[in-house]
Amino acid sequence: MMQSFYLGNRWKRWLRGWQQVDWLLFALPTLLMVFASVQIASTQINLEQTAYGWNHLILGLLGLGTALGLARFRYEHLLKWQWVIYGVVNVSLLAVIFVGTSGLGAQRWISIFGFHVQPSEFAKVGIIITLAAMLSAPNASTLWGVLRALAVAAVPWSLVFVQPDLGTSLVFGAITLGMLYWANVNPGWLVLMASPLVAAIVYHFSVPIWLIWSVGMGAVAWLSLPWRLMSTVLATAVNLVSGKLGEVFWGFLKDYQKDRLILFLDPDRDPLGGGYHLIQSRIAIGAGKVLGRGLHQGTQTQLSFIPEQHTDFIFSAIGEEWGFVGAIAVLLVFWLIFLRLVIIAQNAKDNFGSLLAVGVLSMLFFQVMVNISMTIGLAPVTGIPLPWVSYGRSALLSNFIALGIVESVANYRHRLRFKDP
Amino acid sequence: MRHRTAFSDLPAPIRPRRSRPKRRPQQFQASPQRRSRLIWLLLMVAACLLLTRLAYLQLLQGDTLHEMARQQQVRPALLPLARRPITDRQGNLLAVDRTLYTLYGHPMLFRQAPGVVAQSLAPVLDQPANQLSALLRQQDTGLRLAEGLTEDTARQIRRLRLDGLELIPQQQRFYPQQELFAQTVGFVDIEGNAKTGLEMTEQRRLTVPQSATLPDLDAVLPVSNLQTKTPDPLQLTLDSRLQRVAQEALRDTLEKYSAARGTVLVMDVNTGALRAMAVEPTFDPNRYFDADLEWLKNWVVSDFYEPGSTLKPINVAIALEAGAIAPDSTVYDAGQIQIDEWTIENSDYESSGRQGTLTITEVLQYSSNVGMVGIMNQMLASEFYEWLEKLELDQLTGIDLPAEATPPLKDREQFINSPVDVATASFGQGLVLTPLKLLQLHGAIANGGKLVTPHVLEGLLGENGDLTWQPQRPAPKVVFSPETSQTVLQMMEKTVSDGSGKAAQLPGYRIAGKTGTAQKVTEYGYYGDGRITSFVGILPVEAPRFVVLAVIDEPWGDNIYGSTVAAPLVKEVMDALVVFEGIPPSSPQALGGIWVRP
Repeated sequence: MMQSFYLGNRWKRWLRGWQQVDWLLFALPTLLMVFASVQIASTQINLEQTAYGWNHLILGLLGLGTALGLARFRYEHLLKWQWVIYGVVNVSLLAVIFVGTSGLGAQRWISIFGFHVQPSEFAKVGIIITLAAMLSAPNASTLWGVLRALAVAAVPWSLVFVQPDLGTSLVFGAITLGMLYWANVNPGWLVLMASPLVAAIVYHFSVPIWLIWSVGMGAVAWLSLPWRLMSTVLATAVNLVSGKLGEVFWGFLKDYQKDRLILFLDPDRDPLGGGYHLIQSRIAIGAGKVLGRGLHQGTQTQLSFIPEQHTDFIFSAIGEEWGFVGAIAVLLVFWLIFLRLVIIAQNAKDNFGSLLAVGVLSMLFFQVMVNISMTIGLAPVTGIPLPWVSYGRSALLSNFIALGIVESVANYRHRLRFKDP
Repeated sequence: MRHRTAFSDLPAPIRPRRSRPKRRPQQFQASPQRRSRLIWLLLMVAACLLLTRLAYLQLLQGDTLHEMARQQQVRPALLPLARRPITDRQGNLLAVDRTLYTLYGHPMLFRQAPGVVAQSLAPVLDQPANQLSALLRQQDTGLRLAEGLTEDTARQIRRLRLDGLELIPQQQRFYPQQELFAQTVGFVDIEGNAKTGLEMTEQRRLTVPQSATLPDLDAVLPVSNLQTKTPDPLQLTLDSRLQRVAQEALRDTLEKYSAARGTVLVMDVNTGALRAMAVEPTFDPNRYFDADLEWLKNWVVSDFYEPGSTLKPINVAIALEAGAIAPDSTVYDAGQIQIDEWTIENSDYESSGRQGTLTITEVLQYSSNVGMVGIMNQMLASEFYEWLEKLELDQLTGIDLPAEATPPLKDREQFINSPVDVATASFGQGLVLTPLKLLQLHGAIANGGKLVTPHVLEGLLGENGDLTWQPQRPAPKVVFSPETSQTVLQMMEKTVSDGSGKAAQLPGYRIAGKTGTAQKVTEYGYYGDGRITSFVGILPVEAPRFVVLAVIDEPWGDNIYGSTVAAPLVKEVMDALVVFEGIPPSSPQALGGIWVRP
C-alpha cells in the first residue's frame, strides 16, 4: 500500500512539470504526424522507397520528445537569448548561401554531420522568438517600434528571399504581419505595408481600380499616420509607383516563373508543363470522392502521377485515398490546433508568451492555407510544406520545437500559484 | 476569469490611451476581444473557402475527375501481350510481340537548351548530337526524333528525366529472323490482322485467351501485379541454322543463274517434319508493306510444275510394286520413239543416239525418257492411273500452311485413251504437282513406302519444356512395300555415285538422288525454252533420315540441268545437314578415317 501510494505520488510529482500544458495540443499534431507516416509510406510504396515513412515517424517521435522537454522549460528565459537566437538564424542562413547544397533550383540545405539541414525552417521559429521579444517591449506598437521590428525581420527575410525560397519568405511575411497585428499595431499601418503588393497586382488587371486603391491608401495614411499631409501623398505615390513597378518586375521574371504564379487560374493552358502538377493534384483529390479509395488504393497516388507527393503534395494523396471525409478530418485537426493556439495566446500571462503563440499560429495557419489551396487549385505552386504532414525532417522538427515553446507558454501561464483551486 | 488576459492591463507605455488622452492618429487601440474576433473570423472564412472547394472537387466533380484518372491510368503500354511467340525447334524466336516507341520532341517544353537535350539524347538514339540539335531548332513542338525504339531505349530515355519528350508506344509483331521464315510464319499487319502463313492459319491458337476488356486498375493494385507473363510459344519443326544455310545457298544459286524463283526443302522422312523450307522470292515480314504481292505467296505449296525426271523413281516404284517389272528387268532404249503424231526422245539423243538395252538402274542413271516409256508400257494405262490416284496426286498433302492447292490430275478416260499422255507421264511431263508433293513421294521411297504428312508445326511449348498441345495428323498411308522402296533407293544411289547426280556426292556418305530438267509449258500451251531444274536427294541410304529437294525455276545460261544447277545446291544443304544432325558417315575411310562424332 505504502509503496503504491509512494509510486503514485512520485508519478504525480513527475507529471507536475506538465501540469498546465495543453495535452490536446500535443495529441493533435502527433496524430497528424503518425497518420502522415502511413500516408508517406503509401505514396512511396511503388517507388520502392519505404524508408520515408519510417524516417518521418522516427523523427516525429524525436520532435515530440523535444516538444515535451521544451514545455517544461520556462519560455521567459528565451528573452535573454533573443539576440543570440537572431544571430544564429542569420549566420545559418548566410551559411546556406556560401556552403549550401543546391536542390530543386535553389540553395536550401547545409550539411551538418551528414544530415541535410534546412536552416530556413528553423529560422521561422527563430524569427517568432525575436519578434515576440521585440514587440513585447514597451513602445513596440509605436511607429518607431514597428519600423525597428520590420528592420530586424528584414535581414533573415532577405537572406531567405535570395536563396531563392519564395515560399518561406512569404511565411516570414505572414508571421510578421500576424504578430504586429497582435501587438496592437495600428491596422492601418499593416494595410499600408501590404498595399504596394496589392497595387502591383491590381494594376495588372484594372487601371481604374488601381487608381481608386491608391487614393484609398492615401486616406488610410491620413487617418493612421503622423505628418498627415506628407504621409498621405507618400502613401498614394508609393501605390501608384508600385503599380507601374510591378509591371517592370513582372517583365524581369522568366516565363516559367510567371507561369508558376498565375497558372493555377487556368492550369489547362499548359497541361504538360507548369499546369501538370495542378491538374494532376486536382484529379487525384477529385477521384477520391466522398470516402476515398482507401489506403494504398489511390491509383493516381500509387502510379506516381504526381511528383513530390510525399512532400508538398501530400494532401492530394490524402484527398484521393481518404476522400472528402479524410480531407475534412485533416482540416478539422488543423483548425482544432489553431483554436488551442488562440486560447493560449489569450490566456498567456504576458505579452511575450502571447506573441509567441500568435507567431506560431500565423506560421501554421499560413502554411496550411497556402499548401492546401495549392493542391486544390486555389493558389499557385509555392514550395510550402503542410506542417507535420509533409515529409521534410527540418520542417517537422522545427514545427515540434514551435509547439514545445507554445506549450511552455501554456504550462507557465500562472505567475504564481499559492494553492490548488 | 481567473487568468489575466494578455494586453488587458499592462504598464503605461503599452496603454498609451491612458497617458495620452488626446487622439494620436498613429496610436490605435483595439480591445483583445476585438482582435481575437478578427482572428476567429479569418479562421472561419478560410475554413469555409477550403471546404467549399473540396466539396466542389470531391462531391460535385468527383465522378468526372475519377473518370479522368482512369483514362490516364489505362494506356496502351500497359496492355498485356496478346499473341504467342513462335520459335524454331531450338527455341529461337521467329515471331514475337513487342512494344516499339516513337519519340517526339516538344522543344517549347524543354527546361534546357535544345543543344543540351541533344547532347544527352545523342548517345541513346545513336544519332550525331549536332544533327539532333539542328532538328530540335526547327519547330516548337511535334518533332519526330526517332521511331521503332525498343523498350530498352525507351527506358534509357525516361531515365534522362527530360521535360518535353514524348514516347508513344505501339504494340507490334516483330520477326527477328527477318525474311528467313516469311513464307512459313507469315506476318501480322499494323492493324494486328494476320495476313499469311501460320500467323493466319493458327490465328486462334496464337491469340491468348483473355477478356477483351481493359484491365480494371482499381482491382489490380499494387502495380507490380500488372506484369504480364509471356504466353507459351508455338514451336515449329524448322531449324533456323539449316534454314539459313538453305536460304543463302538458294539465293546464291538464283543469282548465279538469274533464275525466277526457287526452293530448297528438307524433310524428316519418318515423321514428315520439315527441317527447312527455303523459298525465293521472299520478303521481310517486318516491312511487309514494301513487298511485291506476288512474293507474299508461298509457291511451294500453292503452285504446280511438271516435275520431269525427278518423278521417274516414283514411276519405277509403281512398276515394281505392280509387278510390271522386276528389279533385274531390262528395257530397250531406241533413243527416240513415235507415239501418234508425237516424237519422244531422250534429252541426249542428238549427241548419243540410241542407248540399246538398259537395266532399270541404268534407265534412272542416264535418265532415259524412252526407257521409262518402255517400263511404264509394261502395265495397263488404267493401272498406272490408279497408282497415280493411290499416291494422292490429286489430293492435298495436308501440310499445316495456308493456300495449298489441289493438283489437277487429268481425267481418267482421257488419260487411259491417250497413249502420249501415258508416255509423257512416264518421265514426269504432262502432269503437275507441287514441289511439296514431290518431296512427300520421295519421302515414301526413303522411309519404306509410307506417305507421311509434311508439316512445320511441332506444338505449344509449356514452361517446363513439354509440349502442351500437338496437332493430330492422320496415320501415314502405306503405298510401297519396303522391298520396292529399298530397290528404288539403291537404283537412285547409283544415279549419284555413277550417273547424272554426281554433283551431289558427299564424301563418306551414301546418298540416293535423282536429277530433273523439265521443260516448261509456255502460256500458249507448247513447251518452250524455259526449264525447271531440280534435284532430290535422300540420305543416308543405309538408314534414310532426310529427303532434300531443290527446285530452280527458269535458270538461264548454257549449262542448265538438274545435275548442274540443283544438285550442287542440294549437296551444300546436305553438307550442313549432316553436321547439324550429327549423321555419321557411311564409310569413314572415304573421309580419310577421321570422323569425330559431334
